[in-house]
Amino acid sequence: MMKKLLYTMLVSFTFMACEDVIDVDLDQGQSQLVVDAFITNDSSLQTVRLTKSADYFLNAPTPSVTKASVKIQGPGLSYNFVSDNQGNYQYNPQTSGAIDSIGFPYKLEIQYENKTYTSISVLNPVPKIDSMTRSFEEEELGQEEGYYSQFWAQDFPGRDDYYWIKAYKNDSAINALEPSSLILSQNAAFSGNAADGLIFILPIRAAITNEEKPLEVGDTSIVELLSINADVFEFLEQLTIQANNGGLFSTPPANIRSNIKDAFGNPQDEVLGVFSVSAIETGSLIITAE
Amino acid sequence: MKNFFSFLCFILLTSSLFAQEKYTISGYVKSAKTGEELIGATVAVRAKSIGTSANVYGFYSLTLEAGTYEVTYSFIGYQEINKTIELNSNQQINVELKEQVNELEVVDVDGEKSDNNIKQVEMSVNKIDSKTIKKIPALLGEADVIKSVLLLPGVSTVGEGSTGFNVRGGGIDQNLVLLDEAPVYNSSHLFGFFSVFNPDAVKNVKLIKGGIAPEYGGRLSSILDIRMKEGNKKEFTGSGGVGAIFSRLSLEGPIKKDKASFLIAGRRSYADILAKPFLNEGLRDSRFYFYDLTAKVNYEIDPKNRLFLSGYFGRDVFGSGFLFNWGNATATARWNHIFNDRLFMNLTTYYSDYDYAFGVEEDDPDDDFEWSSSIVSYSVKPDFSYYINNNNTLKFGGQSIYYNFKPAKAEFASNGARNDLSLPEKYGIENGLYIQNEQSIGSRIKILYGLRWSHFAYLGKGEKQIYRDTVPGIRKELESAESFDQNEVIADYNNFEPRLSIKYDLDEFSSVKGSYNRMSQYLHLISNTVASTPVDLWLPTTNNIKPQIADQIAVGYFRNFNDNKYEASAEVFAKDFQNQIDYIDNADLFFNEQLEGDLLIGSGRAYGLELFVKKRTGRMTGWVSYTLSRSEREVDGINRGEWYPTRFDRTHNLSVVGSYDWNEKWSFSANFVYSSGTPATFPTNRYEIQGVVLPHNINESRNNYRIPAYHRLDISATLTPNYKEGQKFKGEWVFSVYNVYNRRNPFSIFFEQNEDNSLVTQAIRYSVVGSFVPAVSYNFKF
Repeated sequence: MMKKLLYTMLVSFTFMACEDVIDVDLDQGQSQLVVDAFITNDSSLQTVRLTKSADYFLNAPTPSVTKASVKIQGPGLSYNFVSDNQGNYQYNPQTSGAIDSIGFPYKLEIQYENKTYTSISVLNPVPKIDSMTRSFEEEELGQEEGYYSQFWAQDFPGRDDYYWIKAYKNDSAINALEPSSLILSQNAAFSGNAADGLIFILPIRAAITNEEKPLEVGDTSIVELLSINADVFEFLEQLTIQANNGGLFSTPPANIRSNIKDAFGNPQDEVLGVFSVSAIETGSLIITAE
Repeated sequence: MKNFFSFLCFILLTSSLFAQEKYTISGYVKSAKTGEELIGATVAVRAKSIGTSANVYGFYSLTLEAGTYEVTYSFIGYQEINKTIELNSNQQINVELKEQVNELEVVDVDGEKSDNNIKQVEMSVNKIDSKTIKKIPALLGEADVIKSVLLLPGVSTVGEGSTGFNVRGGGIDQNLVLLDEAPVYNSSHLFGFFSVFNPDAVKNVKLIKGGIAPEYGGRLSSILDIRMKEGNKKEFTGSGGVGAIFSRLSLEGPIKKDKASFLIAGRRSYADILAKPFLNEGLRDSRFYFYDLTAKVNYEIDPKNRLFLSGYFGRDVFGSGFLFNWGNATATARWNHIFNDRLFMNLTTYYSDYDYAFGVEEDDPDDDFEWSSSIVSYSVKPDFSYYINNNNTLKFGGQSIYYNFKPAKAEFASNGARNDLSLPEKYGIENGLYIQNEQSIGSRIKILYGLRWSHFAYLGKGEKQIYRDTVPGIRKELESAESFDQNEVIADYNNFEPRLSIKYDLDEFSSVKGSYNRMSQYLHLISNTVASTPVDLWLPTTNNIKPQIADQIAVGYFRNFNDNKYEASAEVFAKDFQNQIDYIDNADLFFNEQLEGDLLIGSGRAYGLELFVKKRTGRMTGWVSYTLSRSEREVDGINRGEWYPTRFDRTHNLSVVGSYDWNEKWSFSANFVYSSGTPATFPTNRYEIQGVVLPHNINESRNNYRIPAYHRLDISATLTPNYKEGQKFKGEWVFSVYNVYNRRNPFSIFFEQNEDNSLVTQAIRYSVVGSFVPAVSYNFKF
């Protein structure tokens, strides 16, 4: 948030700065298993995607991993994820129920090339979205004229909660593929502080509109509020930094720590990626004239 | 330690034992034009080859046997004065020197006695006066103190536009930047493009990189001692200018003729005012400007007592729906007292504050949020100079600094519910005591030796946080926290810092010098961005953050040529750093109560060669500076625990600075810089998460590549129209071009996903200044 603001200001004042695409020769590194497993408690098709890391300048989809077995163990139940032979391992909640035991831990288990990788994620509760509102805003620095929406929800008091907020304008995600614009919140405020039980603070509840392309009358503003675990929150925070880490205020490029481990703790068998189970709440608002 | 003091006592005793019938002449050397003290002016009895130079307050003291002497007072650029003195009692003699008439011929780069660089014991020191700073072509024509310092040997930076500077392998927080003896915690306007020091209010700048005397302490790598100009004691004058960024005005004059004077100097950027008519309505309320105000008053109460008050206040302000501003404030009061002909005291007290504030600008107080952060310090610092005899000058004194750190004072309102989310304040006290003697042994040897004792206490009210050990490089978890009451000591540290410098004259024109110094530092700037940001925190030493320590040895050869017209030096240095702060991968430094869990502690080393040639006088002046160096860190948890180069490591660093006075109307300046590319961390692999392509470095290496070299040429021309004899108002035009040959110097190379094709990843060269930048400015004085 702060970094984004600094960056916005810097861009507006460093009128002399410029960026060019250049050619660079990079070292090649060994390939690793990559796990992309975001599971939600609703009845939609749940997917765990397995791929392999590749040379940085591959400039094509990274190779899929098709010959693994993937399952998630919940309280008293085990969910098998079936390979589609394109790297996706899927589970349809219509068959034996959603992954929805709030407060319980779920364990991901992947078997691949005679190795076992596991990770545990707790299904945390998520507050209801009470309502959504909209207001018309005039042009300001870094903000176009148009309608801006907000969502209203209140953090659970007395516990540490982490949230990932996804926002859509009609059918498409706002700021799609702009990882620096991921909306993350701890206790309905920014990270690293002792907030508790708040209504999501203004900079977060109003972050669901793209400032370059705000809403117009007739558009639908959709928000998804997901509960996540602390380690997933950290993973996503790191992702926002590392995916676009340039300029005056960039930090040293660093690897993002995975929450998935080799079951036998063998450091040579490190994997990349993340496992997360989330409870999800959705809100939507059709924009009407003010 | 005990031996050291006995040795010192011995020297003091012997020096008084052999004293015969001796008397002292002492006083101040000043400019006849402005009444300003001349720092470093020479006072000499040539017949006996005895001499001394005035201290930073223009005070001198010379002890001689009874007799009649011809004493010469001189200072480069001024006419010397000879006084015949019959010495049969102690005498206070203040002299005023007149400026030399033909200014064109004698312009001197630092206004010092011409062979000081070989004769004085100090080494690894560079001085620049405000005249020189104003001659160097600058970005957008804005003369800049810090950018001038970057042209000196041993000084590097991560890149243009970044805040601060790096000296001999040290971080930017390892420079003690003093403005009239008050530390300035952030020396930048606009993130680092300009520095906060108004050149119109600066008298001279001294950078001490090595052989640091015991009188200085608190930072590892350098002291940047900036002295503010004093107001003209004779007449009212003013100066100012209109440039591309700032408009400036400074006024000075006597309050009481020859006794008291004032100086007030202000600058404000005015891009916002110029832009306003062109902005549409929504943007017209935006604010973006920066300003600073510098003021000084000095008062000569009587021949033995003088008082100086100086202050600085500056801010950068940005706002448009949000608010963001930051700035420094300093206030210094100094009292010079002459106890007797040989004992001089300066007592300094200061207040220095750096703070920033950030928030949203909402009409509705139910939904605002604001936070601010600051470091505030108060200090008392007595310094004594005792002129024992012509061979020994003893200095002793101390300093006490009280710090109050406010990492974050934060208040959020969310729909009317207010929440105070402030992080706890931190407190500390830093104390120092020092004693040093500068001794001449025979006619060739000078030694400066002494000791500084420093102490830091991390004080309550606060918590002693204890963290669990973990694999290096991973966030440490808080194990326990013990509460302490107000002013209770949570943790404290002592350090003894020996210092030694030796000079040996090889002949009349050359000398060799060597020095050793140990420095310790109790304040740490917590920053892991390439360029420091205005929101970086200063934190005290705690039970987890240990004091930083550096040992440095330096050896140099100094030689002057052509009747001191040219001075040259070659120095080598080696430096060892302990307790250097680094950060775990993806550290969370911004708003984190358990920030210490994200810190790593490592060590560092730096070594290098510095060559410097300066032409001091004549129509053509300037210097060439070349540095060959290496600066590295070793931190468990970074780069597999192996040594890696720092982000500001530059193998070669060359600066050529020159200016030429063509005639009375025109003068020209140019500077060229070349420096090797800085290290950067490049990925080896890519992987995809939720459609985002992420970089990965399988070797976990840090700074494994180098970006291309940096080089740049800047030029300027100054036109001074002819003025009638006796005309007071004088103006000059300065035309300049920065980055003449339009080079896109890389600041960094980073990697990102292509916006149009998410499968394509690309390397981006980021240049802070991507083109040549012409500018015109107009300066005037009256």
